[in-house]
Amino acid sequence: MGNILKVDLTTGTLRSEPISEDIAKKYLGGKGYAVYLLYNYLKEYESKGFSPTDINPLGPENVLIFATGPGTGIPGFPCSGRYHVMALRSPLTGSIGSANSGGEWGPFLKFSGYDMVVIEGASEDPVYLSIVDGSAELRSASDLWGKNVFDTCRILSRRVGGKNISVACIGPAGENLVRMACIMNDEHRAAGRTGLGAVMGSKNLKAIVVSGKKEVPVANRDVFREVSRRCLETMRKNRVTGEGLPTYGTSILINVINTAGGLPYKNWQTGVNPYADKISGETLAETYLTGRRACWGCTIGCGRVTSVSSGPFQIIGTEGPEYESIWALGGSTGVKDLDAIVKANHYCDEFGMDPISMGSTIAAAMELNERGYIPKEDLQGLDLKFGNSTALVEAVWRTAYKAGFGKYLALGSKKLCEIYGHPEISMSVKGLEMPAYDPRAMKGIGLTYATANRGGCHVTGYTVSAEILGIPEKIDPLTPEGKAKWAKLFQDFTCVVNSTVNCLFSTFALGAKDYAELLSAVTGWSLSEDDVLRIGERIYNLERVIINKLGFDGKDDTLPKRLLEEPMPEGPAKGHIVELEKMKEEYYRLRGWVNGVPTAEKLKELEIEI
Amino acid sequence: MSCVLVKVLFFATFRKKYGVKELTVNCDGTVKGLIESASKILGEDFLNDVYDREREKVRDDLIFAVNGRNIKDLGGDVKLKDQDVVSIFPPLAGG
Ligand code: SF4
Repeated sequence: MGNILKVDLTTGTLRSEPISEDIAKKYLGGKGYAVYLLYNYLKEYESKGFSPTDINPLGPENVLIFATGPGTGIPGFPCSGRYHVMALRSPLTGSIGSANSGGEWGPFLKFSGYDMVVIEGASEDPVYLSIVDGSAELRSASDLWGKNVFDTCRILSRRVGGKNISVACIGPAGENLVRMACIMNDEHRAAGRTGLGAVMGSKNLKAIVVSGKKEVPVANRDVFREVSRRCLETMRKNRVTGEGLPTYGTSILINVINTAGGLPYKNWQTGVNPYADKISGETLAETYLTGRRACWGCTIGCGRVTSVSSGPFQIIGTEGPEYESIWALGGSTGVKDLDAIVKANHYCDEFGMDPISMGSTIAAAMELNERGYIPKEDLQGLDLKFGNSTALVEAVWRTAYKAGFGKYLALGSKKLCEIYGHPEISMSVKGLEMPAYDPRAMKGIGLTYATANRGGCHVTGYTVSAEILGIPEKIDPLTPEGKAKWAKLFQDFTCVVNSTVNCLFSTFALGAKDYAELLSAVTGWSLSEDDVLRIGERIYNLERVIINKLGFDGKDDTLPKRLLEEPMPEGPAKGHIVELEKMKEEYYRLRGWVNGVPTAEKLKELEIEI
Repeated sequence: MSCVLVKVLFFATFRKKYGVKELTVNCDGTVKGLIESASKILGEDFLNDVYDREREKVRDDLIFAVNGRNIKDLGGDVKLKDQDVVSIFPPLAGG
C-alpha cells in the first residue's frame, strides 16, 4: 500500500499517511477512496456543529483530493495513465466536485512516491506544490500567478529538470474563480468538469508538479502478465479500441449522433444540426489533423494534434478538439466554422476552462440574447447570436478574465439564466451543463443525466454505448423501457473504472470480469465480477449520501423543462420527450432509494457505515 | 421487381476507402438488394465490408441506419422506400 500526502495550505504543513488496506478493499482507490475521505471530512464538519450546506466551495473549508488507483502507472495495465480529482463541493453546482484527466500526471504522481494528495485550507499567497522523488514542499508561485496553462507547465517542468515530470495547474480562469475553470495537466489534458480549477484558485494553489522513478508494485506478476496480455490483445482486435478511436478520436461521433437525431443544436432547440458534417471528425481528420497523442501507457491514443494553418483563427500545433468540445463550442452555439471551434477550444486549454460548460453557457447566452432577455448595455457590443464564430472566440477569453459580459458567463449557465429571469434556458442538471446527447433521442442517457451525483454528466453512466453504438449490446434508444437497469449498471461499473483509475474508453472492449482479473492480479485480493460491481455500487451510494447532506435529493434528479415537455421537432426522434418519471421510479426501486436517498437497509447491505 | 431510389451516406473509414460521401442507389427495396446495387458501383469489397453473407444480414458490428434509425431497432428486416436515407458507419465510439 502507498501513501497519502496531506497538505494544509493555511498552516503550510505537510504530512504523510499510509493508505489503509481495509478502506482500499471496500473502495479501491481513485474516486472511491476520495469519496470515503470526503465523507469523513463532512462528518468532522458536522461534529463541530456546522451544516454541510454552509460549506463555501471557494472557502478554505473545501477539500480537494487528487487520487490515483491500483492500476495507475502499471505498464501493461490498459489505459492506466489517468487520475481523479474530487472536492467536497463544486463552485459551479454546490454538489460534489468530481473530474478525471489523462496525460501523464497520474502515473508520475505515483512514481514520485504518493498515491494521493489531499489539499486542505487556503494559502495567503500563491504557492505551488512540488513532489519530487518522495520529497514534498510548498514553494512560492508569485512569479507564476497570471501565467497561462502552457507557460506554467513549461516553466515548472524546466525548473525541476530531468525525466518523468508532469505539471497539473490552473490558468487565469482558475485564478479568477471562473466557475467552470478546470485543472489542466501536461498542457492540454483537463480534469474538466465541476469547476475544480476555481477551487484551486480559491486556495491560492497554482500548480502541483510531480516527478519520480519509484516502481509501482504488482502483487502477482505472473498472473498479471497473462491477464494484461489477454486484455491488450482484446483491445487491439476490437474494431473500436483498435481502429475507430485511434484513427478518428472521439469527434467521429458527431455524424453518428446527428444521424440518430440527438446532437443538440442551438442550445438544444433541436437534435439535428444541418451543418454537422462541416464540424465532424471526418472533416477534422481531413483538414486539421497533424498527429495523435496518447496518455501514458495507452494503446488507443485518441488524442488529436491539430493546426489551423491560416486565417483569423490560425493556431499551429494545438490539441483537440474532442467530440464534446466541438459540440459545445460549435453545435450548441450554431457555429459551423471549425477554424473558430479549434481556436475556442485552444483558448479553453490555455486559460483552463471546461469547454462543455463554456460552450453551453455561451449557447444559453445566445438564446437569451436572441429572445431579447439581455439588455444591450450588458453585452458591451458582444454580438451573441447563434452561429457567430467571432463572438464565440471573444466570449471564451472574456470569460477567463471576467471582462465585460464575461463576468456573467463566468458564473455558468444556471446562474446566468437566473440573473436574466429565464432559468429554463439553462440546459443543465444540478447546475452542471449537460454534454452532447439529447435524451429525447436516447432515453437512457436522460436518466443518467438526471441521477448523476455530480450533475448533468454522460461519463457517470454512458448508456449511449448500448443505445447508439451497440456496446455491449444494442438497445432501442427511443424507448424508456429497461433503461433503469442499464443506467445503474453503467454507473456502478464506471465507479470501478474511476477508482481503478482507468480510462472509460477501455470499457468499449473490456468488461467487469476483465477488471476483476486485472485488479486481483495487481492487489493480490481475489475479486470476482460481482465483487467489483458491488464496490462500484458502494461508491455510488456513499457519493449519494454526501450529496444528500449537501441538500440534493429526488427533486434535483430531474432534467430541464425543454426535454420533459417540448417534443423533439424533427429527425428520427421527432415528437419524443423524455419519460423521466417512469424511468426514475424503476431506477430508485433497483437502487433501493426513496426520493433520491439511499435507505438505511441499502446502506447496511452495502456495508456503508455512516 | 420494384425500383426504389435510396440515398446512401458514407462515414469514417467507409468514406475514406470508397472515396465517396453520398450515393443515390437504385435497388429492389430490400437491404440486401441495396447493398448489392451499391457494390456494383463501389466494388465487391463493399459487399464484404457491409454484409455478412453467412448469416444473410448486415454485419453485426456496423451502425446501419435507415432515416436515422438503426435497423437493429427496426427488427432488422426493413422495406426501403423512395427517398429513404441510409447511413453506414464502421464500428466506432467516443465519449
Ligand atoms: S483512450 Fe484516449 S483519453 Fe483514454 S487513456 Fe487513451 S489516449 Fe487517454
